[in-house]
Amino acid sequence: MSERLRNVVTIGLLVVMATVLVVLVATSPTDTDRVQAIGERIKCPVCQGESIANSPSPMARDMMGLVAERVADGGSDEAIVDELLASYSGAVLLDPPARGWTLLLWIAPLVALGAGAGVILWWRRHPVEPAPVTASDEVTGRRRLVPLLVLVGAFAGIVVVAGFFLQERAGPATGAADLAGEELDDVSNETMEAVIAANLDDPEVDGMRLALAERYYQAGDYRSAFPHYLEVAESDDATESQAVAALIRLGWMAWDGNAEVDAAVGLFDQALAIDAGSATARYLKAQVLWCGAAAYEQAAGLFEAVLSDPELPEESRDLVEADLAAVNSGASCT
Amino acid sequence: MLAVLGSAGMLAGLVGAALLVRRGIAAARSDRPANLEGAVRVLVAGAVVAMGAMVLALLTDDFSLVYTANHHAIATPFPFDVATAWAALEGSIVLWGLVLTGYTWLVFHLHRRSPDRLGAAALAVMGGVAIFFFGLMITVANPFEVCVQAADIGCLESSPWPFAAVEAPANGPGPNPLLQNHFMMAVHPPILYLGYVGMTVPFAYAIGALSLGVPGPEWLRRSHRATLVAWSFLTLGIVLGAWWAYEVLSWGGYWAWDPVENASLMPWLVATAFLHSGIVQQRRGMLQAWNFILVISTFSLTILGTFLTRSGTINSVHSFTQSAIGPALLGFLVLTLVGSFVLFSTRSDLMATSPRLESLVSREGTFLVNNLLLSVYAFIVLIGTTYPLILEAFTGTQVGVGEPFFNRLAVPVSFLLLLVIGFGPVTPWRTTEKGLIWRRTRTSAVAALGAGLLIAILVSRNGWVVLAVTLGTFVIATLLGLLWEQARKRSMRTGDSHSRSLQRVVTGDGAFWGGQLSHAGVVLVAIGIAFAGNLGEHAETDLSPGETTTFQGYTVTYESPFRKTTPGKTIVGARLTVTRGDDVVGIVEPSWNYFGAQSVVGTPDVLHRPGGDLYFTLRDLPDEQGAIPIAFDTSPMIWVLWLGGLVAVTGGVVAMAARRRERRPAVEAQTVDV
Repeated sequence: MSERLRNVVTIGLLVVMATVLVVLVATSPTDTDRVQAIGERIKCPVCQGESIANSPSPMARDMMGLVAERVADGGSDEAIVDELLASYSGAVLLDPPARGWTLLLWIAPLVALGAGAGVILWWRRHPVEPAPVTASDEVTGRRRLVPLLVLVGAFAGIVVVAGFFLQERAGPATGAADLAGEELDDVSNETMEAVIAANLDDPEVDGMRLALAERYYQAGDYRSAFPHYLEVAESDDATESQAVAALIRLGWMAWDGNAEVDAAVGLFDQALAIDAGSATARYLKAQVLWCGAAAYEQAAGLFEAVLSDPELPEESRDLVEADLAAVNSGASCT
Repeated sequence: MLAVLGSAGMLAGLVGAALLVRRGIAAARSDRPANLEGAVRVLVAGAVVAMGAMVLALLTDDFSLVYTANHHAIATPFPFDVATAWAALEGSIVLWGLVLTGYTWLVFHLHRRSPDRLGAAALAVMGGVAIFFFGLMITVANPFEVCVQAADIGCLESSPWPFAAVEAPANGPGPNPLLQNHFMMAVHPPILYLGYVGMTVPFAYAIGALSLGVPGPEWLRRSHRATLVAWSFLTLGIVLGAWWAYEVLSWGGYWAWDPVENASLMPWLVATAFLHSGIVQQRRGMLQAWNFILVISTFSLTILGTFLTRSGTINSVHSFTQSAIGPALLGFLVLTLVGSFVLFSTRSDLMATSPRLESLVSREGTFLVNNLLLSVYAFIVLIGTTYPLILEAFTGTQVGVGEPFFNRLAVPVSFLLLLVIGFGPVTPWRTTEKGLIWRRTRTSAVAALGAGLLIAILVSRNGWVVLAVTLGTFVIATLLGLLWEQARKRSMRTGDSHSRSLQRVVTGDGAFWGGQLSHAGVVLVAIGIAFAGNLGEHAETDLSPGETTTFQGYTVTYESPFRKTTPGKTIVGARLTVTRGDDVVGIVEPSWNYFGAQSVVGTPDVLHRPGGDLYFTLRDLPDEQGAIPIAFDTSPMIWVLWLGGLVAVTGGVVAMAARRRERRPAVEAQTVDV
């Protein structure tokens, strides 16, 4: 076969094969998993950088359940994403939109690619000729430009970094915000105490207090936990959910630590006054009434109220139902 | 006692590093050969003693050290007790120091063989970097602080003074549970550090060459092997990290564009670009300035990676100032960048003007495109990783940048790279005779489209899978064609048999063919990713003991929950039998591992099958009746990904071990390479 014929045959073969391949791929049934695709666009609120599609955490699974439901209902991708972002605080879009602050993210790589390609083409067209031994003014001028540009760039870099530092340093040396991240696990109780003491006026201190008190509480150290919960419960800066959490803990400690039924019930009532829907407050109040005051009817009523909450998780439901049955049968609490 | 020993080691390291800088500079300034051996010995001895003291403290449960008290427990089994030496921040800096001194020792031995000013200057730079890391150890990340006030478990208050009155706790909380779960903990950090830290060597030679005003290719020649060593370790580290994440950590996959993963990918990308552009300078004298930029960037990215992963900045921008390590590393990064580029700019008049780029259709042209793509790739990863941090630090605005962003930008760049890998090796230097590339690639193009068609008809019509197989086949077929052509020509010339010629061609240019082996590895990685990423199946269900379900043709029977207690951890999991037809394929035990009271780590179980893996993850603990929510995944052909990683590393090793052939500069036409 002559070289020419061989080329023609090869090209023909390539064209035919490529066409068939493109047709095959283009007509392939698209079974993109929309639920998965949407899930991958949302950061799981309680994880570190994982999307809800990849995280095994219960919250991520709940959110994926919601996505599946909405997809089944025929909701659009954007509507579902917006709903998730609105209803779960801490959920962040992992797929930055090409507008506002994040437009730069999409543009910068394209600009870099274009600029790089431009430099290569420019170099191809305008080869740098070997410099004459005695440099002309023009050449030295250009050569001075490079160090100048580098110096300007370096200066800009220093300014940026310095700005970063100053920004960070603007707050108190150990600002509450500095410890507000997920790194809290690495911070000792003593450090947290010190930070709290140094930031009494910081509105974010309540979050710190709650976190620290929670540690003491989990460790059974009610005595240390108590003042912090009290501060949060009485704080004007605390959010409603923080205050409710603190009141619930205070109530349970009053009963569990000091067997003070009335004080405990009072605290639970305060929590319910802020958040009438708090199943935890209602459930624990029922427990205290049952165990501490043998008030069976009141307890049963509260357990029923808890069960009537449609958002009660399934595993809790079993627990409450068991308690309700025990109360109704007149059993003493365990 | 060990605190005193360790502190002495750190001090010795610092003194040795300072001596090395002083004597190195002196030697680089004069032609008088200087004795650097003493300084290097003190440096190495210091690092070894420091690491030895740490390991000894861990092995002997010496809780008088804060590090042991807070990161070790009596129950921590071997080898995790040793691996704890680098499991936390302070220890990881000690490991960094040890690896750095190891490379310094190597450079010193290369230098001793033919001592000259460039080698001395490079050693001085390495000493300078060592000063920073030993300084870090002694000041803000001191692993040899002693405990002066003990808690029940762990340490409350510490003192950097090794002779302080010690109050040691009886036990510690043990290392981070995530890292206690697998032997990879013992292996992965040292390998990754061997890659990271190794990039200091070409950086040191580059800065040395700039300082001495000798920007010619000598510094590249000297550091070439070290760069390949570091590159191979970095590649291995990344692949092992991906394997660990997939097989052990229950992260759901091998790569999640997590900042920690990105931190290792960025220097890899730029180092890969550097390996290629270095060849262009050695062969053609081009890209002199660009090589300096790349090597400075690579080194800076290793520091940036350490900053990102070790300062806690990723978890929360606000934890930045929590420890002084973040500002220290960031300061060192800025110092490196500013210092290097100022030095670079003051030497720009020394850079030889490049020879003309005669044609873009040439080997150097493909290298240029490859460098552009790799740099843009690194830039995509860099901006995606750091932009959310920068934005939040300055404006408080939270944005997320995750898989969708990276995939959308990085995947097209990856495919372009595959295409360039296909054409690069068959394109001659300087200019190309008309029709040559067509002749060298037409057969492989047919083979590639044929393979693509086969996959599309028999396996899947998913576009990414078809594209990966097509381009991958093109690369490998082109390489085999080139090898065949060269062997045939050699046979005709020498009369040797074909097999002997094949062998001679490969061994005759091990550096080139090692590189091509790495290319083949990259191709396999791409194919593995395309299959596992696009054709995986996922299902979730709840099972009670005794229940059976089917998944992808397999029957899965949930036998029972189980609980095992080993020293240091309790394992709660589910035992399932997987059958296909009448054959039992395997028994899997996905589980949750408890370390102490609070920390729980999930561990998947994986059944390896020739077509791909079956992956089982427990979504929650068994409830009182033993019922479990469980997830099933398939990862088709994922073994190709691991294989590809190992092939790429092997290629690096082959290229490194290859006898260095004194290359003729490619002045003649393209016949040189054929």
